[in-house]
Amino acid sequence: MNTLAQPLTAGSMIRKLIFKDWYFMRWAIVSYLALGGVALLLVANGGEGLFYAGSVLLFTILISLGIHLAMLTVVEERTQQTLPFVMSLPISPRDYTLAKVLANLLIFLVPWGALMFGALGVIAGRQAIEDGLLPYAAIVLTWVLVGYTLILAVALVSESQVWAIAAMVVSNLAFQAVLYGVARVPSIAATMKSDVAVWSPAALGLLGAELAAVVLLLGLTFFFQNRKTDFI
Amino acid sequence: MNDFAVRFDGVSKHYPHFTLDDIHLELPTGSIMGFIGANGAGKSTTLRILMGLVHQDRGTVLVLGHAMPAAQAAAKLDIGFVSEDMRLYKGATLRWHMEFIASIYPGWDAVYAADLVRRFDIRPEQKMKGMSHGQRVKSALLLALARRPSLLVLDEPTTGLDPVARHEVLGALMEVLTDERRTVLFSSQNTLDVEQISDRITFIDRGRIIDTGDKESYLDRWRRLRLDVPPGVTLPALDGLVTRSTSGRIAVLTTNRFTPAFAAACTTAGATVTAVETMTLEEIFVTEVQQRREKEAA
Repeated sequence: MNTLAQPLTAGSMIRKLIFKDWYFMRWAIVSYLALGGVALLLVANGGEGLFYAGSVLLFTILISLGIHLAMLTVVEERTQQTLPFVMSLPISPRDYTLAKVLANLLIFLVPWGALMFGALGVIAGRQAIEDGLLPYAAIVLTWVLVGYTLILAVALVSESQVWAIAAMVVSNLAFQAVLYGVARVPSIAATMKSDVAVWSPAALGLLGAELAAVVLLLGLTFFFQNRKTDFI
Repeated sequence: MNDFAVRFDGVSKHYPHFTLDDIHLELPTGSIMGFIGANGAGKSTTLRILMGLVHQDRGTVLVLGHAMPAAQAAAKLDIGFVSEDMRLYKGATLRWHMEFIASIYPGWDAVYAADLVRRFDIRPEQKMKGMSHGQRVKSALLLALARRPSLLVLDEPTTGLDPVARHEVLGALMEVLTDERRTVLFSSQNTLDVEQISDRITFIDRGRIIDTGDKESYLDRWRRLRLDVPPGVTLPALDGLVTRSTSGRIAVLTTNRFTPAFAAACTTAGATVTAVETMTLEEIFVTEVQQRREKEAA
């Protein structure tokens, strides 16, 4: 008889599902962190060209991580037909959604947080880069989180590769718009080259709006998941 | 103890091109029910509703005393489910899956699992992506069986298996079935498999249950009679007559309520009964389905 099993609660099942996704993504997390470290080194030590290359690499890594995660942990669960196996376990659809959202957010937030604060630290610590760039960098990097949450939400609700790809396209187009648009917000543009970071109301408002968008997207995910009647 | 491990009462589910209609189904605790239907008949939808994976539009479903789909987490703690479309994680080994399941189910029997590994001739250290279809099915069955569930729900588990793998899987199932407390619901298109292991039979076609009952009495009441009917002899209206075909003097009747009186009525009318044949489950199933479809078309 099994001695490994503990008394089972919804919480412990959700933890097991989160650990499962972590286990399957462990090498991807390490790889993205390593690549992110390379990007930060370029940003921290290179000239103007390497700074640009490092920044592009950093954004590419974070965006790729988000896409990779949503596709592997959510969409592939259906396309690879492992969803019936997971849903045969003693969980409810709500437990499944909660486990997927928490696993994805945790897996994404660790590299995203490390790379975001690493990037902000490099900007703040390097003489050659003006600290005025900090609000802009924070807003743009936080958008990557918003874009990822959009992809995750669409992947979870639709469980469709096509819709997930559509969400990626929208997210990436919106990222370009954010890069362009935020740099043209007067209070941000005016202080971007200053020696000190200026957290203007517009900058803080944009950051707040991004975080609100993350919360809204997650709320909508649970709303639509709760309305589903078919799970495999 | 609940008398019924599974009880469907007036369950319906509507899709744009398919409707599961007014399903009433009772599965007594400890019984082994073969659930037979053609492709698209509604077997998988019924079993998914049973598991809480698809929510019914109408009706109630009780599984091991739990209302589905609301209490599915509690119910599934005591259910082993394997379906033909279920896959395990291809990047993980069977050992990883066994440890994962063992950490969830208190009833996991490691000794029995090791026995099944040996009997199924599968290697726990092998990743799923390197396994054949038969090995993957046997792995999924192992994970379901070794948790020692009260209810085993198998949705076409033998589909696509080679004869040797099918024999191994059926052998393991027959052994499991010696436990009188365990209830099994086994869906299949293969009537031979069902005939081999079930003690109850349910036929489903086009989203409706067309017949259900105890297998032995079921097989017992179906007969095919071959008659010699001389010219001028007219057979009477026969209670329980399902199909009748004639070619010259030869008439072939099938009945689902055979008694000696049925044959006697033919003889009394002037016909000679040349043979009374038992029917296989497959022949009964095909006859039932064809008869029902002809009635619907008429």
